[in-house]
Amino acid sequence: MFAIFKREFLSYFRTPVGYVALAIFTFISGFNFYTLFSEGTVSISDEINSLRSLFIIIVPIITMGSFAEDRKRGTEVLYYTSPIDLFSVVVGKFFSAMALCFVMFINVFIHMIVVSACGGRVGIGAWGSVLVFFFMAALFISIGIFASVISDNQIISAIVAFLIILLNNLFSVIGEYIGFSVSTIMSYMGINATARSNAKTAVANAISWFDPFEKTYEFRNGIFSASALIYCVSFAIFFLYLSFRILEKKRWSQK
Amino acid sequence: MIEIKNLVKHYGDKKALKGISFTVKDNEVLGFLGPNGAGKSTTMNIITGYLSSTSGTVKINGHDILEQPDLAKKDIGYLPEQPPLYLDMTVNEYLTFMCELKGVPKKERKEHIATITSLVGIDAVTGRLIGNLSKGYKQRVGIAQALVGDPPILILDEPTVGLDPNQIIGIRKLIKDLSKNHSIIVSSHILSEIQEIADRVVIIHHGKIAAVDTVKDLSQRLSNVTNLLMSFKGPAKDVAARLKMIPGITDVNIRNSGSFGEVEITTSKQAGDEIRTAIFFMMAKAGWPILEFRSLDPTLEEIFLSITTGKGE
Repeated sequence: MFAIFKREFLSYFRTPVGYVALAIFTFISGFNFYTLFSEGTVSISDEINSLRSLFIIIVPIITMGSFAEDRKRGTEVLYYTSPIDLFSVVVGKFFSAMALCFVMFINVFIHMIVVSACGGRVGIGAWGSVLVFFFMAALFISIGIFASVISDNQIISAIVAFLIILLNNLFSVIGEYIGFSVSTIMSYMGINATARSNAKTAVANAISWFDPFEKTYEFRNGIFSASALIYCVSFAIFFLYLSFRILEKKRWSQK
Repeated sequence: MIEIKNLVKHYGDKKALKGISFTVKDNEVLGFLGPNGAGKSTTMNIITGYLSSTSGTVKINGHDILEQPDLAKKDIGYLPEQPPLYLDMTVNEYLTFMCELKGVPKKERKEHIATITSLVGIDAVTGRLIGNLSKGYKQRVGIAQALVGDPPILILDEPTVGLDPNQIIGIRKLIKDLSKNHSIIVSSHILSEIQEIADRVVIIHHGKIAAVDTVKDLSQRLSNVTNLLMSFKGPAKDVAARLKMIPGITDVNIRNSGSFGEVEITTSKQAGDEIRTAIFFMMAKAGWPILEFRSLDPTLEEIFLSITTGKGE
């Protein structure tokens, strides 16, 4: 696993991928920090939370090639014919992408140092946001790797990852819409208003339960909840395991 | 030792392999021969664990490739049709990565890589990016990759394809050297190549084994030349008529009947040098100079034909 991790991590910097991701992150976070700084009040947790919306672009860039590229190059043979476990290949690639995220995040650490040096305070809410950032990165990278496994084409992988991560961003909004549609349909069926509004809330809540952003909202105020982190980790493991099973299945496929 | 029993592989409706069984003994070079699409690569992919067979078993030194994959895969070095190279790494980085994958202890890596690179003749390019190497070098890096971890079994899928003649000779020599302490399966669709390096030959055709033969038997089959090609100055029809009178000649086909005639002569199998002598004197006597006279080597296809139809046995 470590061999795969090392190779993949270094390969980010042998190709433009690592630099592009780093450049985007550095630029946006730097600009963000500069704007806050020039206004006189910097909230590190606000900065981190707004950076999370970058996942939607950066994660597909990082992960789109992780397996699709191997298939194109013919190097995936190595994973199947070497005495290593396929799951450790998936995990190795996952951690290499996480490591790249960590490298990008050094920017924010520097901002934290600047804030402290200027007499500001990096409170528990900021650290809570850091924690959330990495747990969410884990969730989205595992989705990106899954997208890379299911398609031979990097572009399609990137689009699939983009869409799934976008969906994650929109769970609450989608929940509202579907809840509204349900209540509209119910009103045509002549169901009374109380039941309608109950159903609407229930549907909206059920769907927005999946929203990782909502789940981790209180972290920025220093209120941590294990369930939110377990949610991210378990979904990350789920997608990694799914990727592993798909890779396993390819060997048996009859196409 | 590799034991392959009853391998069957279906791709949807297409049956790529229809029950293949053979064994490779220790320190033997087995040539795996067949036209494109015969199932060579599929078989090799199954032996190495890249693909799974629909049914049948593969045992590598007693370990089943599906039941004890780690033990079985440890013993195999595999060069697929397309060498699995990371073009963004240098040769040295790549081989170090392969050492890590195959579990070569850290202390031995440097020496191990040095041995392998000098063996395949890439020690001069170890610092270069694989993507910048020529095709021949890439192929050799592919072979080096298969040798990492010193596996006793090597499976090489068309190792000489796309190389220039000098490189082909180099690779053949390398395979011969390696065969002293490795069991090797080499696939090719070039007959002469297999003939040169292999001890035994498996011929595969339409997913079935058409013949398992020692190289000696195969070459004997080859040396039984039954077809000759002759071009000459003279009337083709008359030449053909006279040729047919020579005992041992069963058929004469006129290929060209212009001012330069050309005929294809089929002889009965027993006929040897005498027929050619007889033809020469007949032509000389009639005053028709022979311009070209050569045996038509049977192509791989013809050998298949003769094997599959039972002729020429």
